[in-house]
Amino acid sequence: MLILGPLLILLFTYFLLKFGDQGKNSLRVLIADPANLFDNKITSHPSQAVEYLFYDTYLDYEEFRDGNRFKEFDAFVEINEKVLQNKTVKLFYRESPSLDIKMKIKFELERRTEERMIAEFTDLSIDRFRQLKQPLNVDFINVYDPKNQADNNRGWVGIFFGSLILFFIGLFGMTILRSTSKDKSNRVVEVILASVRSSDLMLGKIIGIGLSALVQLVIWSVFVVIGLVIFKEFIFTDIFDPSNYEGIQYASDIKNDILLNASSSRYNAFIDLIFHRINYGVILPVFFIFFLVSYFFYAAFFMAIGATSGSESDGQQFVIPIFCLLLLSFYAGFVDMYYPDSFLATFFAYFPFTAAMTVLVNVSTASSASGLVQVLFVLLILLCHAFIFLKIAARLVKNGILNSGHRLNLSTIWLWLKKS
Amino acid sequence: MITISHVSKSFNRKAALEDVSLTIESAQIYGLLGPNGAGKTTLIRIINQIIQADRGSIQVDGKLLTENHWKDFGYLPEERGLYKAMCVSDMLVFIACLRGLTRHDARNNVKHWLAKFDISSWSKTKIESLSKGMAQKVQFIAAVVHQPTYLILDEPLSGFDPINVDLILSELKAMKAEGKTIILSTHNMKSVEEICDQVGLLHKSRLIVEDTVHKLRENQRRGEFVVRFSGNMIALANALWTEFELFETLELGDNRFQIIVKQRGERSFEDLASNLMGKIKLESIAERLPSMQEVFLGLIAKEEEKNEE
Repeated sequence: MLILGPLLILLFTYFLLKFGDQGKNSLRVLIADPANLFDNKITSHPSQAVEYLFYDTYLDYEEFRDGNRFKEFDAFVEINEKVLQNKTVKLFYRESPSLDIKMKIKFELERRTEERMIAEFTDLSIDRFRQLKQPLNVDFINVYDPKNQADNNRGWVGIFFGSLILFFIGLFGMTILRSTSKDKSNRVVEVILASVRSSDLMLGKIIGIGLSALVQLVIWSVFVVIGLVIFKEFIFTDIFDPSNYEGIQYASDIKNDILLNASSSRYNAFIDLIFHRINYGVILPVFFIFFLVSYFFYAAFFMAIGATSGSESDGQQFVIPIFCLLLLSFYAGFVDMYYPDSFLATFFAYFPFTAAMTVLVNVSTASSASGLVQVLFVLLILLCHAFIFLKIAARLVKNGILNSGHRLNLSTIWLWLKKS
Repeated sequence: MITISHVSKSFNRKAALEDVSLTIESAQIYGLLGPNGAGKTTLIRIINQIIQADRGSIQVDGKLLTENHWKDFGYLPEERGLYKAMCVSDMLVFIACLRGLTRHDARNNVKHWLAKFDISSWSKTKIESLSKGMAQKVQFIAAVVHQPTYLILDEPLSGFDPINVDLILSELKAMKAEGKTIILSTHNMKSVEEICDQVGLLHKSRLIVEDTVHKLRENQRRGEFVVRFSGNMIALANALWTEFELFETLELGDNRFQIIVKQRGERSFEDLASNLMGKIKLESIAERLPSMQEVFLGLIAKEEEKNEE
């Protein structure tokens, strides 16, 4: 997995970039306009991607679908007589067009309809009408962040790094659990405990597995970063330039927020996130510190379960709550990103199980100076909890690791906790 | 010398050891005996500092047992365990390093022991591909690889064929000769008779007896003598008369016999010898001491009777 993991990530990224918008990229469109409302004209700037031809007779979709003479067309647009009133146009396609093409057609049809409406219902010029048509912008601005530095989209960076922590904790936490159970079942633990303290054995195992996780993480990161640089410089040179992406231009022109979001999502959510929005200088140190402390915090639970379970499969039932808490971190991340001032977000920020994720979201969205004290405070809380739970785990390891063959239950755990 | 003083340990309010005190002299092999559940493994774990006693103390050469003594102890647990994915030499080097050896010394010692047991060719073999007997040998080496002063062996002979049993027993005798102190927990009474100097018998979490093997056997003597002679049995019966009871006869051929007789009343070895002299042709006459197996069973039975009363 050391090499295969990052290769799979890069392969996934490659396919996402290469085939992210897999629809048909060029279309011959037949426009059935029996009332001749569009006057055999759609746009004054024809493109190679979409070729329009007009048909002045009524056409239904079955006839289009089955008729031999229409086979050369990829789609047909039904312009009904009341289109200026009901503002609805139907486009029937044989193969779904790409998002780019969809937006281009929508943009051109909307513009043409608008021109016809202006001519039909107003005495205004087209330019004047479009000037008046501008929608009212309502900006919601946080008084504590008037420059809108806490950008929601940047929260995704935090979610991404937080997820990486959770992924590695889940993966290597299970390694700790399985390794401890295995040591118990093959009895090697008694030989080891004759030369080291049980707490040393616990820390040794946690640190050893943690270091292997860290090495793996670094190797993955190096591979992925090198791969992304190669993608950017040599393979997807165009896709990283937003000016090459027509969809954004159309959507922006027609002031359609949904379209704008949809069209920009391909650019924003991934490319912009990776190459422009990540402040590596701030987030990487925070990520590594919280990765380590969270790992120790969660490792205490996995170690305790492994050491107290009666068999290798016995501890599985106790792993479920731990994984639920790991999943809660994702929810905490979203809450923190969208409702950063809510009570729940504040609670998650100081709750040790979700602290790493919320801190990373906070760091990625907020200005670093304002959050520094909070980050240090959360780190202190997490450190204290990691220390306390490692102490508890050490006691459970000491009292439980030589016992096997039993069925683990809460009363046994309580008994071993009370025992010195 | 290891001195165990008033050690007690209980698990979930059930006593595993109650006020156990015993002394293990240096350069001796001490047999820790007792039926299953007597508390042997608990005591061994306490000496190895794997678990802590609830009460009592252990001293090594007059000093309280601490973690500093880890390097002086070697331990072969009853339930053997090694990292199966590791190769033999790596496993042994790892254990030796845990016991305080440098990596260089550990490697040298491992080489030495593998050669001594004639298993150098297994050096790079993974533990999981070893047979049970082979793994036992590796486990034994893991206990002695760091050349401990004190060696604690829990059932060291189980899983070995007679050849390897002999090899291990010889090795233990050699270690004793080198001045090592060995604690041996076993149910193999023949080996106890053969190599142990002193034994402690645990029963139901208490130490019921501690003595040398010879004294324990002597204390349990039943006045039985083994006589070898040639002649006829009628002459023998006349010679024994009513003072000794004949209860086992073995014909050796050529009119030769081995008999076991038991004395009655206060009759002694000398009485038996004088009774037989001149009546049969004596080859040998010796007192038959009970085996450790018999001593063990006798002591346990006596303890059970005491408990019932």
